[in-house]
Parts: sequence; structure tokens; C-alpha cells
Amino acid sequence: MDFFSIGLVLACASAALGALWRMRGWFKRGVAMGRPGQDRPRPGVLGILGMLVGGLADLVLLRRTMRSPLRWTGHTLLILGFGPLIVLHAMDGVVTRPFFAGYEPTLDPWQFLRNLFGLLSVLGLTLLFLNRCMTLKKFSKLQDWTLIAVVFGILISGFLLESFKIMSAGDFKRMVDDYFVEAESEELISLKAYWARENGVRFRQFLPTAPELLELGAELHEDRCAGCHSPTSSAFVSRSMTSLVPASLYIADQGRDLFWYVHVGLAFLGLALLPWGKFFHPVATGINLLTRGGTRTADTPTHTLARGLGLDACTRCGQCSLHCSVAPAHRVLGNPDILPMDKLADLRCHLDDRLSPGRSAALVEGSHICTECLRCTQVCSAGIDLQDLWMASKKSLTEAGRAGVDGEIRKRTAGEWARELASRDLGRVGGTGAGLADRAESFWGCVQCTTCTGVCPVVAVSEDPSRDLDLAPQQIMNLLRMGLKAQTLGARMVWSCTTCYKCQEHCPQGVPVADILYELRQLGAEILRKKEGRS
Amino acid sequence: MKNYDVMVIGSGFAGMAAALFAAERGLSVAQTGATGGIDFSTGFIDLLAVHPIAEQKVWEDPFAALAALRRDLPDHPYCRVSDDEICRALEQFTTFLGHHGLCYRGRAGKNTLTLTAAGTMKPTYLLPCTAWNGVKAWEMKAPTLLVDFSGLKGLSARQIAEVRKDSWPNLKVARIKFPGMGGELYPEHMAWSMADPARRAELAQNVAPHIADAKYVGFPAVLGMTDTAAVLSHLEELLDRPVFEIPTLPPSIAGPRLRAAFDRGLPGLGVRTYTQKLITKAACSEEGFSFTAGSGSTSVDIFAKSAILASGRFFGKGLRSDRHRIFEAVFDLPVSQPKNRSLWHRPDFFDPNGHEVNQAGIETDANLRPLDAQGRVFHPRLHAAGAILAHQDWMRMKCGAGLAIATAYKAVASL
Repeated sequence: MDFFSIGLVLACASAALGALWRMRGWFKRGVAMGRPGQDRPRPGVLGILGMLVGGLADLVLLRRTMRSPLRWTGHTLLILGFGPLIVLHAMDGVVTRPFFAGYEPTLDPWQFLRNLFGLLSVLGLTLLFLNRCMTLKKFSKLQDWTLIAVVFGILISGFLLESFKIMSAGDFKRMVDDYFVEAESEELISLKAYWARENGVRFRQFLPTAPELLELGAELHEDRCAGCHSPTSSAFVSRSMTSLVPASLYIADQGRDLFWYVHVGLAFLGLALLPWGKFFHPVATGINLLTRGGTRTADTPTHTLARGLGLDACTRCGQCSLHCSVAPAHRVLGNPDILPMDKLADLRCHLDDRLSPGRSAALVEGSHICTECLRCTQVCSAGIDLQDLWMASKKSLTEAGRAGVDGEIRKRTAGEWARELASRDLGRVGGTGAGLADRAESFWGCVQCTTCTGVCPVVAVSEDPSRDLDLAPQQIMNLLRMGLKAQTLGARMVWSCTTCYKCQEHCPQGVPVADILYELRQLGAEILRKKEGRS
Repeated sequence: MKNYDVMVIGSGFAGMAAALFAAERGLSVAQTGATGGIDFSTGFIDLLAVHPIAEQKVWEDPFAALAALRRDLPDHPYCRVSDDEICRALEQFTTFLGHHGLCYRGRAGKNTLTLTAAGTMKPTYLLPCTAWNGVKAWEMKAPTLLVDFSGLKGLSARQIAEVRKDSWPNLKVARIKFPGMGGELYPEHMAWSMADPARRAELAQNVAPHIADAKYVGFPAVLGMTDTAAVLSHLEELLDRPVFEIPTLPPSIAGPRLRAAFDRGLPGLGVRTYTQKLITKAACSEEGFSFTAGSGSTSVDIFAKSAILASGRFFGKGLRSDRHRIFEAVFDLPVSQPKNRSLWHRPDFFDPNGHEVNQAGIETDANLRPLDAQGRVFHPRLHAAGAILAHQDWMRMKCGAGLAIATAYKAVASL
């Protein structure tokens, strides 16, 4: 058993077992989200056909990435280059050799294609790397950079390996020992001269340049070598790279050995890491793109498995977070779970029960700030049905008693909150620290006329305002002007207010009722956040 | 910049009346206004019922009272309008309201006594038709059931019956649950819910057991917001009795009802209304007036050849004050007022003479044009109308709405 065999077996085992583990996770997390409703229509036969076409178009043409030309180009180049490299080069033993008689990696078109696909891959990867540096740096984690590094490493080390093999005198000697053992010294030196000149091999010894010897070398090459070796100039990238190595350095053999291990080692590493994080996205995202059938909205039927798959299919492209309509809330509050990409990752952790309490609280807050506007679902490159995930997780979080600030405040009565908060310095909200609710001028004009309560639509839809809302707006104003702020913070009127501003507009005395209610709510949210250990 | 013939500043009784009269005269009208005094109205249109206020003398004939008033108080705004103008103004005003779902009635040349939430009988000139059966019931001292609702603070049937017990012994009371609402009740939400016939049926069912031999049934004024006639007649049908409304303590919904009628009717006459906007800037020139209504991104610039200042008193934000002086809010016109702060109020809150501060306001010439500090007309095409005028005590004289409508009429006629 050699390095290659052991490495291959281990890498394949890791990939296979890991992939199974990931797929198991799809079921597990999907189930943890709760049973999907049956409210979405099931497609008929034509619908399914349409979905198949749509899904294939998304997968093959990367339709969902077309909004961003840089990302689409980078990704397409990478796939066009790396795909064939995997199938026709890495797996040439099981694919290319059986199907193409007389295949040798050093023959054209394979040698040329290998370089071409390698170059395409490097170009594509460079574009993707640039994109991640320019727009996604703040979202990027270890797994993102590692994947780029590993693939880059495989590509570059491959070129370097080929370069060193081209230059390697040791390889030449090995070949001659196997295929031209009877060479006489004059023939040998001619062949060497030919190979040094035409194919870039680096020999320590001085080689002749006489034309008749080169002619002899060419003839011998045609007889013995050309059947398996195309000119190395067709390996246009690797051959060009040989000029980077100064002629005085004879490091080709060592380089070849080193980079063989690097190249093969990184390839095995990449394979072994396939189930880890971002490395799995070609599998998970590919399947997700097919199953979503090309739709950009939240109208495909929901399955437990599809949900779990969706959670895994994130490519961490950051588009959802860049387009999130409540991004300003993230800017102000600093909670990363307000933005979809991190919220998705944390939701996944939460479903595995691996999320810390502080982070859970952040997830709940992010879940409730989300307005379900559908934008992230529309721009998602992986076609994940984010809308469904958000709505289902919001529901399951609420059912587990985690309902965000609005839910927490309703777990106790206004009276209980008043007792708890009465002893504290409640702090002030507002730029100068003295909020509207603390200033006497805000209430000087209030004559308790109940106009604010009369126009309030929240009071209008309540059958019993004192039961449903604890206090009516003018009652809150009355308590505040008596300095009893603690009594008002837990009142459900404050937490049900829609800030429609009718109260403030209709107040005949200019009391800023809506602004004050909003301020109380902000203060309450701040107090609750402090209780959770976040601020 | 928008260009109009008349800018009406204010959307209370005087402002609405001025906008109506000007529009029906064919002028282009813009109007601004916000919540103010009219939102605390009972809905009654008082003409004149008490003079002199120190004696609290109540008059049955408002026009006889007017004659006495003009004789005794030459500075009173009613001296600037004739009886004829008053009658035509009231006629035009109530006709308009009648077209928009608010019917009014009264007795020509006579004040009518009507029931209030406090149980007192208040003299007024024109009443909403929904209150008229109450007048009939009172005048006949008929056995009547007064209904109130648990949780509605603005009207207590028992209090009314208690206050009236000597003069109207046949008053019976019942407290019932208002359909579909509990806890604390607010008139505006109750009135809107009466648009639903099912709620009315439920209400009638709750009331029916209490009627017995009562000939009339009286309710707090929550019987509909924009469809009071329909609600009332439906209830009369269900209860098989004549029904009437009693205005609740302020804020009753009479104000919103009036506003709703004007909001529906005035734009139809071409009036450009800017609701919930106050004048924040006003500049005068020979050509007319440049106003800015509202502030910030929603402010509007308006130009008008003439202007009618019907901005009300303190609640209407036509007058504002600090601890020492009263100011007029739009043009900074001089305000006739007591010489210093200590003279604003008499020591006794219920002093029958009233308080001097209530008579502060804008002084005008015979055509209701405000005067400047030197006593000259401030601007030839600026008129004032309504409660902002000086030398009247509308609350104690029971002349508020009538004064507002009549002076608005005169102001528009003088344009």
C-alpha cells in the first residue's frame, strides 16, 4: 500500500461517509423545523416537466447567478475547467483510459486540454476570489477561504508539478531505462539534445548542438517516444512556467517529488473535506437547484427533506445579506442574525441544538425583525426557499416559547413588569438622554380628551381595550405625566401600537403621543435585550 | 404655488361655514385646519340663549335676545350681522348638512330646551333630528327609558334621571352591555360599530326587556357616524318606539360627525381641503396672501387673494399664550385682552360674570376685518369669523355655533 492508495481510500471513505452524514442531517433538521403545511399547490405532470427544465437550466447555465456577471463568469469558468479536470484527468484511470484507446496524459489533445482547463479554472477562481475580497469580506469565514485556497492549491501545484516533470532529468532517465534501454551513447546524447531543445528538459551535462545530431535525436524521438509524447509546448502553461526557473538551478527532480505530494495531497484533502461546510455545496446546492425547478418565489411544495436540503445548500455567496431589506436594522443593532446568510447558518446550528444561549437570543431577534419580504429568496444563487425556512422557523421558535421581544413582554402582565421595573433606573431614550416621555413639556397640553384613543385603530379592533391593551393611549399619557413610567412599559398598548400616527396628528393639544409610545417600546426592547445578556 | 380666491384658515364651525358660503358663491377656496374646538361639540347649533350672563337670564326668543344684546353690548360681534343675514346663514348651513347625512331641525324664532349628559336642560336653536324625539318626550313628560352602557364613562342615565327627578318623574333607566365591546368603551368606536345591522339587532334585543311601558327610548349619542338617520330608524323599527340621542360628555362624536359631513361635501363643491395642516408661514402683500401650510416635506405653498381667519381660540390654536400675554397665531394681529395676567380670571371659578380672558380676541371693523395696533384695517381683504372674535362669551351666552356661522356668512359676503 502506497501513499496514493492509502490516501485515495481514506479520502473516498471520508467523502462518502461525510456525505451520508450530511444527508442524514437533511432529514434531522427538516423534522426539527416542524411539519410543513399542505397549503401550497402540487404541480401536475406539465408542471413537473417545467420544473425539470427549469432546474436543469439553473444547474447547467447557473441562471440564478446571472444577476452578477462577475460571479457568473468566475463560476462558469471554474466549472467548465475543473469539471473536466476531475473526470478526465483525476479519474483518467477509470474514465479516459478505458474509453479512449492509446490514451496517455502526455499526448494531445489531453495535454493541451489539461492546461486549457487548468487555466480556465485559475481564471474563474481568481474572479471568484476577487469578488469575495471586494464585496463579501465581512461575511466570509474560514471555510470560504479554505475552499478557495485548496482548489487554488490543487491547480497551481498541478501546473508546477507538470512544469517540474517537464524539466526533470530523472524522469527522462526513467523513461529511457524502461523504453530505450539499448541506447548507445551517441543515440542517447542526441535524444537528450532533442528533448532539451524541443521539450524543455534540464540536463546537467553539456549537450551538443550539431544539426546532424539533432536530426538523429528527432528520428529516435519519432521511433521511441512520439507514440506517447506530444511536444510539451502544447502544455502551454506549464511549459511557460519552466522559464521561471533559472537555468543554473537543478531542482526539477526534487520539485517534481515535492509538488506531486502537494498536488495529490491537496486533491485528497479536498476530497476528504467534501462533506465539510462550503466544500459540500456543489452536491447540496446542485440537488437543491434541481428540486426547486427554476422558481424564484416561495411556491414549491414544502417537504421536510427539502427544508433540510435548503439549509445545507447555502453557497455563502452573500447575495441575500447584501439585498436584505432590513439591513439598516443590522447596521444599528449589530446583530448578525438579522441578515439572512448568518441567520441561516445559526438556524442550522440551532436545529442541531448547538447554538449558545446568547446566539439563540440573537437568532430569535433576527427571526422577528425579518419582514418576510421575499427578496432574499428571489436573489438566492442556490435557489433555497428561504421564505419557507423563515416562516417555519419563526413559528417553531414561537411555539418553543422564543417569540422575540414582543413575545417576551407579553409573558408577564403590565403590573408584574411595573413591579419588576419600578426599582430600577429605567434610563432614557433619545439623543440627549432625555426622552420625550420624561419631559414635562410633552404633557403640558394633555386634557385627557380621549381623542387619541378615539382614533386609534388598535383600540378599534379590540373588543375590550382594558383587557387586551391594559392601557389606552391617553391613560399612558396620564401615567407618564405623573412620572410613572414603569407602569407603562409592560402595557400591551405600547407593544401593539402600529405607529400609524393618527393619535399624534389628531391630538388637539400637540402631545406627541405616537412618538412617546415608540420611545417606550424602544426602551422596553433595550431593557429586555439587557436581560438576555445582549445589548 | 397654488392660487385661490379665498383661503379659509380653520375647519371648525366658522371655517366650514366660510368655505361652504364662499364655494357656493362661486369662488375658488382653499381651507386648512386641524383638530380643535368643533371636536368637542354637542352637535347643537346655539344662536343666543343667555343675556346678560351675570343674571343668567334665559330667553325663549333668540331674536328678542339679540335685540337686547345689540343694545347692551355694542362691541359684540353679533352687532356686525343682521337678523336676516343670520337666518340665511343658518338656512344655507343646515341645508348643506342635510344633503350630507346630518339633518337639523328647530322652531323658527324659538329656542328649544334639550337634554344634556349632565341631566340639565340646555336651550339651543337647531338640533340634530336624532335628538328631536327627546324634545317631544320632555315637553310631554312622557314615560321614557334612558339607556346607558357599562363601561361608557360619558353618560350616566341614572344621573340624568336623578337630576330630572322633580320635573320629569317618568324617566326610567337601564344599563346594558354594548354589543361586541367590553371593558372601557369609547364613543367613536361604538358609533362606527353601529353601521352593522347585526349589532343593532343585538342592541335592540338587549334593550327590549327593559322598555315595559316607556313611550320613548333615549340613548347616548353613539348611533352611527355617517348614517345616523338609517341607524335611528332601524332601531325605532326594532324597538317599536321613537328613539332619540343624548350627546355624551366631550369628546362626543358630534364633532367627528360634522367633520365627516364637511369632508364629504366640501370637496364636491370644489373646496381644496388640507386637513391636519396648520399655517406655519403667512405673508401679506397688496395682491394677497402667501401661506405655507404644514411643515417639513409635506408642506404646501398657497396663494390667495383674500383670507378668512376662522382659526378658533386656544383649542383651535388660533390664539396662543404664554404666562403673560395672548397672541394671534397666524398674522400676529393685536389681541384685545385684559391689561395684565392677574386680570384674566375672577377668583371664583363659577362666577356668573364669567372671566375676562374668555372675551379676549380679535377686534374688527363693521365688515369683520381685523384691526391693527393703530385701529386701522390690517388688510382690506382679510376677514375674521367665529370664536376668535373679541367681546363675546359664547359658552355662557350659548351662542357659539350661531355666531360662527353668521360671522362667516358676513365675512364671505364682504369679500
